[in-house]
Amino acid sequence: MPFSSRRIHLLTGKGGVGRTTVTAALARATAHQGRRVLLLEIGDPDEGASPLARLFGREHLPIEPTALEPGLFGARLWAPVGHEGFLKAHLPGGALISAALRSKALARFLVAAPSFHEMGLFYHLLMLLEAKPAWDQVILDMPATGHALALTGLPEVLLRLIPRGPIAKAMRRGQAYMNDPTQADAWVVALPEQLPVTEAIELMAGLRATGMTVGGVLLNRMPADPFNATEQVELAGFMAGRAVHGEVAWGRLVDARIAAARLRAEEADLPILTLPEVPAEPDHALVGPLCEVLA
Amino acid sequence: MSTGRLLLEKRLVVSCGAGGVGKTTVSAALALAAARAGRRVLVVTIDPSRRLAETLGVDRGPPEPVLLPPDRLLALGVTPPGSLSAWMLDPQRVSDNVVRSFSKTPADAARLLDNPIYRNVSAMVAGMQEYTAVEALHGFLQDDHYDLVILDTPPSRDALRFLDAPQRVGGFLDRRIFGLFVPGEGGVIRRAATALIGRVMDAAFGEETRQDLQQFLALFGTLLGNLNRNQAEVQAFLKTPQVGFMLVTGPAREALDEAFHFAERSRALGLPVAGYVLNRSLATRAHLPLPEAPAGASEALRTAVAHLLPMAEAEKATAWTHAALGERLRERGTTWVLPQLPRGASDLEALLQLAHVLAPST
Repeated sequence: MPFSSRRIHLLTGKGGVGRTTVTAALARATAHQGRRVLLLEIGDPDEGASPLARLFGREHLPIEPTALEPGLFGARLWAPVGHEGFLKAHLPGGALISAALRSKALARFLVAAPSFHEMGLFYHLLMLLEAKPAWDQVILDMPATGHALALTGLPEVLLRLIPRGPIAKAMRRGQAYMNDPTQADAWVVALPEQLPVTEAIELMAGLRATGMTVGGVLLNRMPADPFNATEQVELAGFMAGRAVHGEVAWGRLVDARIAAARLRAEEADLPILTLPEVPAEPDHALVGPLCEVLA
Repeated sequence: MSTGRLLLEKRLVVSCGAGGVGKTTVSAALALAAARAGRRVLVVTIDPSRRLAETLGVDRGPPEPVLLPPDRLLALGVTPPGSLSAWMLDPQRVSDNVVRSFSKTPADAARLLDNPIYRNVSAMVAGMQEYTAVEALHGFLQDDHYDLVILDTPPSRDALRFLDAPQRVGGFLDRRIFGLFVPGEGGVIRRAATALIGRVMDAAFGEETRQDLQQFLALFGTLLGNLNRNQAEVQAFLKTPQVGFMLVTGPAREALDEAFHFAERSRALGLPVAGYVLNRSLATRAHLPLPEAPAGASEALRTAVAHLLPMAEAEKATAWTHAALGERLRERGTTWVLPQLPRGASDLEALLQLAHVLAPST
């Protein structure tokens, strides 16, 4: 399993590529190896049920790490937890801390003020990374592309604004985890199609620009290819301009081959894992088969 | 309502849907169909793929909407008075324009534009993208260059945020809250809260950053009256019959769930839902034949076709499922079904084909 070497994996990728299902499968596969795994999501309970929690038969992941399956714990990053943790760790004196935690005005301000929400999420993550006993593996399901860059790029943005003081220190500490190639990496989930592969390549460039190590790419829903080289050539001639069933599947297969080859050419040194297309309805039935592939 | 009427009568069409369903392409195709029908259309995208951005001419992040050049419009079947412009939302630019036009004095504007907190505000304030989208929309709806604006939104979990972003960002920008942070205002309780926040801030940030933040909040606060008025106007406009929300979905269960969730939310909020667009449907292919190796085919071709057959049969079953799905959607509301396009179709060809389906030329 090419995943085990680093303690922190961020899973990211554009909407619609099956990132959440792959993340759940990876978490289960890691737990099956006997490691204590913490699976994290960033989600707002106001926005309806969490897709990740649904894969484990729940509406939401709780804020406190809670066992989902043997060896596999789930939790949701939640900004107020980070705020409280930060205030407790950094405010001088117990009186000020308890006054601050009691203040509704401060609570409202922290929810609303610029970047405090993200800072809270980041600090909550930091608290979980440093929790004792340490988690063997932390796996974070990162929401769509833009946000992933926002969170991994957050320390840098904030350090430009706040170069000194306790927040800056906490951000540097978090950055040290995230940017340490022995500890953390980001995996990009993508589909084996032209445009998604282009987007995955752009996303990897963005992640590297924030100092993240890219662990690899997971090409999800790779169609099964039953044709040998001669058959491919014959079939390409036969299918040209023919309106029959199978045309769409054949087109996907050709596209997947080209896209995967281009990704391998551009990222020659990077592990690129393919996950098969598994017909499953409902979606949570996918986690099992994908888990076996990743194990 | 037919798409023809929708595209001819609405002032604003908002497309919403889960990630990966092809929402931006559908938005562009709707815009093209309306432009072909003679309307002057602006499509505002938020995060287009680079290829689509190139097709629409907005890949370099232009400051203003870009009118597609006449030869390209002609190739797309758009003739005057119809026209098609495109723009990619640039939150920082929208925000800078707000600062310039609403600040009390040019000196205030300059200080705010120079404030380090402000310069990172669109990256830092969750919902700022949506807030500026609404502000930009306000401008475009006033602009008599456009008969119809089509707004592409971020994936639907965020699209819901788009609807309440004004309240959320507005909440942060609310004087009652951030006023707590600007000293020297209000009564005893307020001052006590201000003093507490000040001490917490100094401990967490250091004095320098606290001063930046105070300056930012004090200056930005003076813009709020105008900004919130614009936001409220757009929010009220979104509930009028001049607006249609298009719920874009693909055939996958998750995408459909998102669309239904969104429809429910929209109705609860009093937003006019125009209907569903089922994108990438194989329904029109349901009646195609299965592949058959021709007489005298080579051994390799016969084997290949034999391997293809189960894939073809699965595809046929999917096509019938999609057809049934279209029917189920029609029971819920007006539905437009768009076909899965052949691989390798350029974006221009794809847009044309989809525009044809959305509004068949007469």
